[in-house]
Amino acid sequence: MRDRFDVIVVGAGHAGCEAAYAAARLGARVGLCTLSTGTVAHMPCNPAIGGTAKGHLVREIDALGGLMGRAIDATGIQFKLLNRSRGPAVWSPRAQADKKIYGRWMRAALDGEANIEWLIGRAGGLLVAHGRVVGLTLEEGDAYRCRALVVTAGTFLNGMIHIGPEQSASGRAGEPPSHELAESLKANGFEWGRLKTGTPPRLDRHSIDFTRSVAEGRFQPERGDDPPVPFSFLSPRIERLQVECHLLHTNQRVRELVEANLHRSPLFNGQIRGIGPRYCPSLEDKIVRFADRERHQVFLEPEGLDVREIYVNGFSTSLPRDVQEALVHALPGLEDAELIRPGYAVEYDFIQPTELTRRLETKRIAGLFLAGQVNGTSGYEEAAAQGIVAGINAAHLTMGREGFEVRRDEGYVGILVDDLITKGCLEPYRMFTSRAEHRLLLRIDNADLRLTPRGRSAGLVDDERWERFRARQDRHCHNTRLLHETLVRSDSGDRVPASQLLRQPGVRLASLIGEGLVPGVSLDEAAASIDIASVETEIRYAGYIRRQQSEIERAGKEERRRIPLDFPFERVPGLSREVVQRLGQVRPDTLGQALRIPGVTPAAVAVLSAYIGRLTT
Amino acid sequence: MFAVTDTIVAVATPPGPGGIGVVRLSGPDAHAIACALIARDGGLQPRHATRATVRLGAADLARDACTAAAARSGPHLGRGATGDDAQDTVPGSSRAGTDRGAIDQVVATYFPAPHSYTGDHVVELSAHGSPIVLRLIVRAAIDGGARLAEPGEFTLRAFLNSRIDLPQAEAVGDLIAAVTPLQARVAFDQLQGTLTQAIAGIDAALFDLIARLEASVDFPDEGYHFIEPEQVGAALDDLSRRTRTLLAEARRGRLIREGFQVAIVGRPNVGKSSLFNALVGASRAIVTDVPGTTRDLVTETVDLAGLRVTLVDTAGICETQDSVEAEGVARSRGALGSADLALIVVDGSQALDESDRDLVLQIIDNTRLIVSTKLDLPAAWTSSDLGAGPIVSVSARTGEGVEELRGQILATLEVEPALADPPAITNVRHIALVERAQEALMRAREATLADGVGLPEEFVLADLQQARAALEEITGRRASDAVLAEIFSRFCIGK
Repeated sequence: MRDRFDVIVVGAGHAGCEAAYAAARLGARVGLCTLSTGTVAHMPCNPAIGGTAKGHLVREIDALGGLMGRAIDATGIQFKLLNRSRGPAVWSPRAQADKKIYGRWMRAALDGEANIEWLIGRAGGLLVAHGRVVGLTLEEGDAYRCRALVVTAGTFLNGMIHIGPEQSASGRAGEPPSHELAESLKANGFEWGRLKTGTPPRLDRHSIDFTRSVAEGRFQPERGDDPPVPFSFLSPRIERLQVECHLLHTNQRVRELVEANLHRSPLFNGQIRGIGPRYCPSLEDKIVRFADRERHQVFLEPEGLDVREIYVNGFSTSLPRDVQEALVHALPGLEDAELIRPGYAVEYDFIQPTELTRRLETKRIAGLFLAGQVNGTSGYEEAAAQGIVAGINAAHLTMGREGFEVRRDEGYVGILVDDLITKGCLEPYRMFTSRAEHRLLLRIDNADLRLTPRGRSAGLVDDERWERFRARQDRHCHNTRLLHETLVRSDSGDRVPASQLLRQPGVRLASLIGEGLVPGVSLDEAAASIDIASVETEIRYAGYIRRQQSEIERAGKEERRRIPLDFPFERVPGLSREVVQRLGQVRPDTLGQALRIPGVTPAAVAVLSAYIGRLTT
Repeated sequence: MFAVTDTIVAVATPPGPGGIGVVRLSGPDAHAIACALIARDGGLQPRHATRATVRLGAADLARDACTAAAARSGPHLGRGATGDDAQDTVPGSSRAGTDRGAIDQVVATYFPAPHSYTGDHVVELSAHGSPIVLRLIVRAAIDGGARLAEPGEFTLRAFLNSRIDLPQAEAVGDLIAAVTPLQARVAFDQLQGTLTQAIAGIDAALFDLIARLEASVDFPDEGYHFIEPEQVGAALDDLSRRTRTLLAEARRGRLIREGFQVAIVGRPNVGKSSLFNALVGASRAIVTDVPGTTRDLVTETVDLAGLRVTLVDTAGICETQDSVEAEGVARSRGALGSADLALIVVDGSQALDESDRDLVLQIIDNTRLIVSTKLDLPAAWTSSDLGAGPIVSVSARTGEGVEELRGQILATLEVEPALADPPAITNVRHIALVERAQEALMRAREATLADGVGLPEEFVLADLQQARAALEEITGRRASDAVLAEIFSRFCIGK
């Protein structure tokens, strides 16, 4: 057996990169196994980072000391803050990336870590002894020792690509699947399932006349924010060139083509059995399910500043090539567009995340961690969030340190992990703000206030970030106090504290500052908008925030009441067999988690709660 | 199909001798244990009232032949069903022959899960209402592997098995405790699910609104409108209207469920006791013990137009130096404090006294009715002399005015007798939760109105989620063990 590593990470996608970086930063010797360094942090689908709730995840990953936020800030070509017209809890940053440059940036960041060594090859089987992971073999034959293994295989486990009737075993277009790794995992008894996801065709930008189509009103230009709002708490202003995207709509002709060819769609003719993401439907899905809608939105997004590929957002499909061509040409303005690559669907195996602990370690095999799409999630951001959790925990495991767990009320990272390990996946999991019962407290502006201290004690936040954070914390306290103490003249002529004035609708802190009414407010030049957002939100919506906090406290006792390890659920009188079986499968560590298991009723949890003290293991 | 892990047993009928006594078994071994008790090899036909004989001592012979799952290990029946002196006192127990150990003829009915009261397998043995026999049967069942049920445990299981929700479980308790037909009707209504349906209707509308708002927050740029801004206000108004309608009945409902207390106060010798007797005599007496009233006050619980009313005859409130009398006065004041209505009795045939006026002034905060007694005698004063509003004049001796007084009592409390629809909501726990939901809805409504611009959806949603959480606490979809323990401990064993 070859070199001994502390941690081996399988897969250099979004989850793998965060995991490898985190573990390396914490001092572990990391082997990063990938097919090729050319596909590091590849974006096989939408060349974008962020969006509703996903943007929250990216902010949190950054707050913890991860890579994704900085990567997109360095390579983004159009930035937009979604839900701007709504409230601060649902503002969500999103950015298009220059896809190739994004990958190169990540590669460079990992190359810059002395603790990371590249293992180029195809991951094969797990080496397990006495219920612990001891190493990894590659299909080429080499074997490596390690004390912790993080598998981030994405869509590669027994991956199968469908383009119409064409099927090929692939993890992604042009890349071989992982068969041996898939079987090695299943052989250890993990519960697994099969999912599918899809991607649209790519068009050659030179075959599209954007100017004319805009002039003729067939394309609507979409510009990003000016100035762009960065993701990372460390980023300076973004000065890079920003691109335009274009919006157009499907029409009757598109609908007719889809309907006429449904029998040739692998999604509809039974060729694909995996379950697809409900929230990211294919074109066929949309035409069929929303039959009463006359048209659907389609966005043309460049995949980079200097590349030919245009990504057709909203046009994910696995119809045969000839149908895809006809469909594209049926769209207004795209009559002569050339397809560089067709869209396709990919089916893949995943491991049920109920097999995992809150540290993303499998319950069956110590030292084996799973993160990313292999757990049934969809999205680069969801993958990266799991990657950072798994990476920290893998390193902690080898260092004998306490594990790293994020609670639901601390961040979307906590909600993601808890949902996965408690409920499992019946379909690809995507994060939404509605999954957060404490949405008002989990905002993008306070991600650092919530999580940077956690990242610091876990060892991932370096001094530079920590100093910046401390300064930010100080500014926040200072500004909050200042606003409570500074008197401002209100409309009625009274002098009231600025904080009181801020509670009136229509009054904005930025204006008060601009008018010089609150001298002494301390703002960081680059992070001014975050400073303002945090203090304004907390003052303006103090009542709501207070209510959510007291709800957390009220539920907190019950929520955090721990269930002892190996608790004998079957000995609690009054629980049905089904409930006992669910509890035994998930093995919740708190009553709160037990309550979230599907099929476990609140009444059952109430009875369980009464017996926790009484029954010994 | 649900199956819980142990089998419980208890006497389901009230304690004391009676014509029939029912022993109820619930759980996976209910059938096996029952068959063993009645020495029935072939099992019981489901839902078929079957005549049988309970035998003690032959049980262990029959058990192996029984068709249902094996019973748990327990003390063997070899030493006699109960192991105590029961064997000696049971006739025929020492005789050889087929009737050895027979203690009663019963009617056994087997309800296989899930279509039973609890949702488990249930067997009900209707025996003669002999306390000793029933006790023997229960002991035999325990020896056969069952466990004595906790208070309310059968109903708790029905709830855990989702046969009934929490208000329905509470209604079982209310129904058992009802003392007037109206109380029974209201409880039965709740058991039928009237409240559950009303809540479900509100919850469904609430959920729909929440879903639409969440969708518009989570899918901002799909180009779909899930709900127009003007519609949000209208939807919230509708929800508020529904909760208000429920709450409008709440006061009346609460009075029906809990009954109310009427304290009769006045100077000594104005005719309070005669009035008390007249009111009692005119109403149907209820012969149950009324908890919570001081024993030294004369109380009587009556059915007043379907409402459970406790009349309290007080000792008379006055200034006194006498310590015993002072004690009585203190108690009277106490009764006054806990009464829903005070009847201030003034002697109609005697001139008004300072203490009469004082009394009227003192009780001005409580709900009160001023009653002038001795109508059959010449009146010594009129209502304008007292200057405290309308009075009701009665003669306890002739009965004149008593009927009108009863009507006035109901009218003052705004509890109209038996209207067509009984109030859907009667329980303080439910009322408090609906009020909490109502407050959250009002906050949400204000949030959408603020200056025409309105607060962003996530704040409206925060309040809507709170409203929903309150409703879920009513039905028990969200339940804390403290609440459940409290509810079910109020039941008796066997319910």
